[in-house]
Amino acid sequence: MSLYVDRPSVIHRLDPLTKLCYIAAAVTVPFICPVKSVALLVAAVTYILLAAGRVVTKVLPLLGFVAPVLLSIFIIQGMFMPDNHALVFRIGPLYFYKEGLSYAALLSLRVIGILGAFSLLVLTTKPSDLIQALMEKGLPPEIGYVLNAVLQIIPQMANALQRITDAQRARGLETDGRLLDRIKAFFPLIGPVVMNAFVETKDRAMALEVRAFNSKTKRTFLHVRKKHPADVALRIMCLAAIILAVVWRLVG
Amino acid sequence: MIVERKSHSTFDNKKDSHKEKGLETMKTSMWSFKLSTASLVLIPAAVGINYIGKMIAGFLKLPLWLDAIGTVLAAMIGGPVVGALSGAINNIIYGLTLDPISFAYAFTSLFLGLAVGAMAYKGWIENAGKALIVGLVAVLVASVVSTPINIIFWGGQTGNVWGDSLYAALIAHHFPVWLSSFLDEWVVDVPDKIITVFIGYLIFRGLPKTFLQQFDRQNHTDVL
Repeated sequence: MSLYVDRPSVIHRLDPLTKLCYIAAAVTVPFICPVKSVALLVAAVTYILLAAGRVVTKVLPLLGFVAPVLLSIFIIQGMFMPDNHALVFRIGPLYFYKEGLSYAALLSLRVIGILGAFSLLVLTTKPSDLIQALMEKGLPPEIGYVLNAVLQIIPQMANALQRITDAQRARGLETDGRLLDRIKAFFPLIGPVVMNAFVETKDRAMALEVRAFNSKTKRTFLHVRKKHPADVALRIMCLAAIILAVVWRLVG
Repeated sequence: MIVERKSHSTFDNKKDSHKEKGLETMKTSMWSFKLSTASLVLIPAAVGINYIGKMIAGFLKLPLWLDAIGTVLAAMIGGPVVGALSGAINNIIYGLTLDPISFAYAFTSLFLGLAVGAMAYKGWIENAGKALIVGLVAVLVASVVSTPINIIFWGGQTGNVWGDSLYAALIAHHFPVWLSSFLDEWVVDVPDKIITVFIGYLIFRGLPKTFLQQFDRQNHTDVL
């Protein structure tokens, strides 16, 4: 389970840490320079990179997810923002003002840009590669294990839930109908999944400990990651963008 | 064994008083980062339970998220550090696999696990009445931590229809944005977090003693 899309692209071959640096820049710059033009520029660069990674169509469902919230921001800020003075248009009894709509536009551009920047990482990086890259940089191997284990355990538990749901319904459990019935059905469904999961943790802990999980020796990695020459240059560019934004803010 | 041993300054003296004694009686501070393997493997299970809770709530069409039951449970079983780690890792994994926006709310989950874990450790889940107080604290912590995130990202909204209607009504009457936003988040969190903590409490009460013994900080006999 992941949002990763396997495509042959330069973005896919970049080091996950470089993409993390890009996120750092794409998140901080629009906040350091809180104007629409900067937010638009950052969002534009991000979506060009997504296009270069050939994953731009995969961002659309994620954008669709935030679209209703963004729409409600335009409505609420456009109508009710305290600074509202200049009327732009009205629909019947609803009055929309320039200041609120402009603020909503800034917020939306930022959200779209930030969502794009995270998508750039998530859509073009295997979670396990990201975790390994972080472990090479000093993330404790135990935490690395936990992150990888979560990715395995969730599909397993979803399967277990399916089995338990079928079993409980076969015994006559009401899963639709009145709200009270549905609330009551929650416990017979979650209870067995939780118990199964906890029983397994004991086995897992023992299995790990007999395999020297607590060993303090330096860990080595099964796969050696190739370093792309562009990585260093890109990281410096991200840092430069942040510094430039700070200078812009201090001078401007 | 793992991450370097750190201790919250307020609890240092408590730890020191036990330092000289043998392994059996050594009591580790509840803020210790020195997690046993049993506590570590609890974290993936907690994240899985969060996911399952959310799935069941969706399947039963309940008007709640119920997506933090695992975090709350891990905090009750393993203490504040395990709770906080479960919360943060939950949102990081969600961000990587389902919805990148969830990264932003990692802090909310982290502090939720921390608060519930600390209260559980101090004996606040002995009975249903006390567990309700833990639920109220969880609501407060979740709203306080989420509000700045909501203001930064969404201008103060939560994306929930009921909460946002309240928000619109409040700012229309010139209430400050931070207060409107806090109340927006608060009305959404009240039912969800209280019920989440209460479900966590009910499951916790049903867990076998032999299972909970693994996490008892005073019992180091099964640490290899």
